[in-house]
Amino acid sequence: MSDHAVAHEAPTSTGIDHKKLIMWLFLASDCMFFGTLISTHLLYRKLFPAGFTDAEGHQRFIQDLFSIELTSFSTFILLMSSFLMALAVSAMHKGQLKSFRRNVLGVIVFGLIFLGCQVFEFTHFYHKGLTIQNSVLGSTFYVLTGTHGTHVAIGVLWLVLLYFYSFTGKLGGHMGALDVEVAGLYWHFVDIVWIIIFTAVYLVEYLGPSGIWGSGLPVVVK
Amino acid sequence: MSQDTHHAPVACKTELAPERNDLGLYRPDRATGWTDWLTTVDHKKIGILYGAFAMLYFLIGGAEALAIRTQLARPDNDFVTARMYNQLFTMHGTTMIFLGVMPLSAAFFNFLVPLQIGARDVAFPRLNAFSLWTFVFGAFVLNASWLFEFGHLAGWFDSFAWHKALVYTDFAPANGWFSYAPLAGTFGANGQALRFTGVGTDFWIIGIQVLGIASLAASFNFICTIINMRAKGMTMMRLPAFTWMALVTSVLIILAFPAITVALIELMFDRAFGANFFNPSAGGQPVLWQHLFWIFGHPEVYILVLPAMGIVSEVLPTFSGKSLFGYPIVVFSGAVIGFLGFAVWSHHMFTTGLGPVPTAAFSLLTMAIAVPTGVKIFNWVGTIWGGRIRFTPPMVLALGFIWMFMCGGFSGIMHSSAPADSQQQDSYFVIAHFHYVLLGGVLLGLMAGLYFWFPKIFGRMPNAPVAYLGSALVILGFNLAFGPMHYLGLVGQPRRTHTYHAGNGWETWNYVATIGAYILGIGVVIVFGNLVWTAFRGKKCGDDPWDGRTLEWSLPSPVPDYNFAQAPVVTTRDAFFEHKHGARKIGFENDGGDAGVHMPSQSWMPMLASAGFFFIGFGMPMMAMGIPHAGWLVISGLGVLFLGIWLWALEGPGGYMLKTPAPAGAPAPAETVAR
Amino acid sequence: MSSSHEAAPSRAFLAEEVRRYHHFIVLALWLAVVTGAEIVLIYLPLPTAVIFTALTLMSAGKFFAVILWFMHLIYDKRLLFWCFLAGLVLAFSTYAALLMLFSVDRIDTRWFS
Repeated sequence: MSDHAVAHEAPTSTGIDHKKLIMWLFLASDCMFFGTLISTHLLYRKLFPAGFTDAEGHQRFIQDLFSIELTSFSTFILLMSSFLMALAVSAMHKGQLKSFRRNVLGVIVFGLIFLGCQVFEFTHFYHKGLTIQNSVLGSTFYVLTGTHGTHVAIGVLWLVLLYFYSFTGKLGGHMGALDVEVAGLYWHFVDIVWIIIFTAVYLVEYLGPSGIWGSGLPVVVK
Repeated sequence: MSQDTHHAPVACKTELAPERNDLGLYRPDRATGWTDWLTTVDHKKIGILYGAFAMLYFLIGGAEALAIRTQLARPDNDFVTARMYNQLFTMHGTTMIFLGVMPLSAAFFNFLVPLQIGARDVAFPRLNAFSLWTFVFGAFVLNASWLFEFGHLAGWFDSFAWHKALVYTDFAPANGWFSYAPLAGTFGANGQALRFTGVGTDFWIIGIQVLGIASLAASFNFICTIINMRAKGMTMMRLPAFTWMALVTSVLIILAFPAITVALIELMFDRAFGANFFNPSAGGQPVLWQHLFWIFGHPEVYILVLPAMGIVSEVLPTFSGKSLFGYPIVVFSGAVIGFLGFAVWSHHMFTTGLGPVPTAAFSLLTMAIAVPTGVKIFNWVGTIWGGRIRFTPPMVLALGFIWMFMCGGFSGIMHSSAPADSQQQDSYFVIAHFHYVLLGGVLLGLMAGLYFWFPKIFGRMPNAPVAYLGSALVILGFNLAFGPMHYLGLVGQPRRTHTYHAGNGWETWNYVATIGAYILGIGVVIVFGNLVWTAFRGKKCGDDPWDGRTLEWSLPSPVPDYNFAQAPVVTTRDAFFEHKHGARKIGFENDGGDAGVHMPSQSWMPMLASAGFFFIGFGMPMMAMGIPHAGWLVISGLGVLFLGIWLWALEGPGGYMLKTPAPAGAPAPAETVAR
Repeated sequence: MSSSHEAAPSRAFLAEEVRRYHHFIVLALWLAVVTGAEIVLIYLPLPTAVIFTALTLMSAGKFFAVILWFMHLIYDKRLLFWCFLAGLVLAFSTYAALLMLFSVDRIDTRWFS
């Protein structure tokens, strides 16, 4: 048993745990991933500032769809979930399993609330006439926020599994804290991507008389 | 924690007592034969498997190339139909890049990197196995499109309702390895998702997606390994040049592949769910596909060439008896090439109407990237200058690399000038350029690596006369095949066209090129045949037949499971060469011996997880074909993937202790560490 | 693995964790305040450029605050920071370039028609 302990904590050249290093590398790669999706959305917003055409053929503005209250609420929720995650990691480092479980449960619940808000938002937009098929805006918006939501869902699943694993008695010590910290890194990253999406996709639409994109730039339509 | 019955180190893993993992299932640690190879997490075996599959797919890609050249040997030929021709060049490019060169490079990374840094395995052995099997399944899915195509041509599907309902009946991808929108995309309003092509495109999309996941996983692993698992004293600037190139290549992969991943997701959504990313009818911009593809695609070509450059940087010093000239500059240039590789993507798009300022910017940056490349070439020349050159097969190939890659580089620089490129774009001149860098550069470099390291991998020496013959045929053949294409491109023969009419003056050189292609094919078959024969029946050789410079040559051939009997401590670059001929000896850590070293456990779980991609890979195109219930195949594939990962996490890392012999000349484990 | 096999966390380590715990609470409050400010800001009658700049700075501030403190980068080895920054800077530069490429509205069509 002690051989295993020694082996898993074999000294690394940099002093950084393998799992931590590989997660940060993954997050660096994920920056490019979300960068591609966000820039696709932004460049199509620039090309088509007005928004989309609904089923009756009316030209609609994206601000008609957005409910800044709902999105702000879900943003707060995600930020607070990040806070609880940091507390969970801290608890694990201190070896306080019960505190860890409480905090992780909080993260899971907040994550589910966020996902619920996303689902509500999607159905709301769908009923107001924005579909993935009827416009470029629908495609970029749903795929971008949907991909982010998928990342959140994977994170929730991961944390649920960690939560139940913590009851087996096998989660603890340095390796347990490391596993939780790595899950935390993933969760925080999903949060900071949302920070960017919230600003670049939602907030900027409210700047200027008809949103930042409708500010007199030459519009290429058809 | 698992009830560990492996307290006692064993001399051979077959002596282990059966152990259960944390799930209660037996670990396949004691496996031999097929099970051993299927559950292996040993980087050396994984490297051999990558190499074997790569060579197989090289031959398949080569067959596709010969079919192309046969069709083009004569004007107005009808050896293949126009559609089959499109499928051939698409699959040729895709196979050679993703199933030939990249896995062969991965084979070298897998086998060599841990040995060169003085480690006993990679940072995440099971993740390594996952990469391998994901590649295997992805490669199979991509080539299975041919099976569907042949089945269709043979009429096997004619009686099925879904087949009768198909608008297009191409099953193998036919849009080129770059699969441009709008041809690969959709048109039509409001989600009609009208397409121009059939299921082949869907096979291509999902195949590349799965292969991308394999490459990403492997690259994360290698970066972590190289940064974090170096032997004592192995600072970054004492790393062998090959390992440095492995690091840069892996960094390129993790930063470039996300762009194609997203592009493929967007294209898939267009085709499968009626999205409008590239749909011109809804305002989608097909040129966006080009941008996203080449944001990936340009770093991809450096991903292809940097490993071969790393190999050349090992082979030249060894056979010149001198260290690599300007090592820090060679390493730095490799990193600069990688970095600048992200800044030049639109040089593939000079004729798309970017505007004068972007065109000029990309043109200048492309010219700039020639500088570090040239620096490397000068350093290689500096390496062999004044050395005692031994013209072994690997050395001949590495020298060929310098010369042939330079030719490819010259035609590349000609492309960097946008006005000149506007004539060369989509002509045979481009084909000449990239085949010179890929064949003259990458293939010769990889072949040099194969001949160089085969003795280490199998403990057997390839037959030299046959090696020279094969290499000569390859070099002669590819020059004959692609040299004339410079001329053909400049007089206007367009690429990607299945035939040409007589009277343009293209006939002679096309015929010559076809002859060259066949000679090249014979040469490749000789080389691969020679190597495969060597693996089983070649003449046995010693541990260090070439008087090598780096740590892997200090090990027995073939390399034992634990790699280093005692962990090495290095004090200089080219540590083994200095150990043999200089004053600075390699020290050894006080580990191994009867106390044993820790070996990772073997596992079925990575392969189980990868199997999910098999189902997803078939499910998505089958959904596109309209086969009922195919969506369930995709969902079950995702389920298998998640199940595999979950069980992988739960089974626990395990591990066992393996005794190692104290190497001759090294202190016994009880003694202090040598300095 | 039960922690009985390892030494209990040292006192210095625990004290450090408690300090960080307080940092987290402060940071969480600050993040909430800044988010609220962002939402209020977009309704204020200021010039667009000013609001846009302010939003960018606030988002960047939140972004780096989460990375440095919640994700521990400020407490960890520098290498991790550079690894992540490399990906971030590359993504930002590449896609800024892409957006600029799509902003070229005046293409001289005299040379091709």
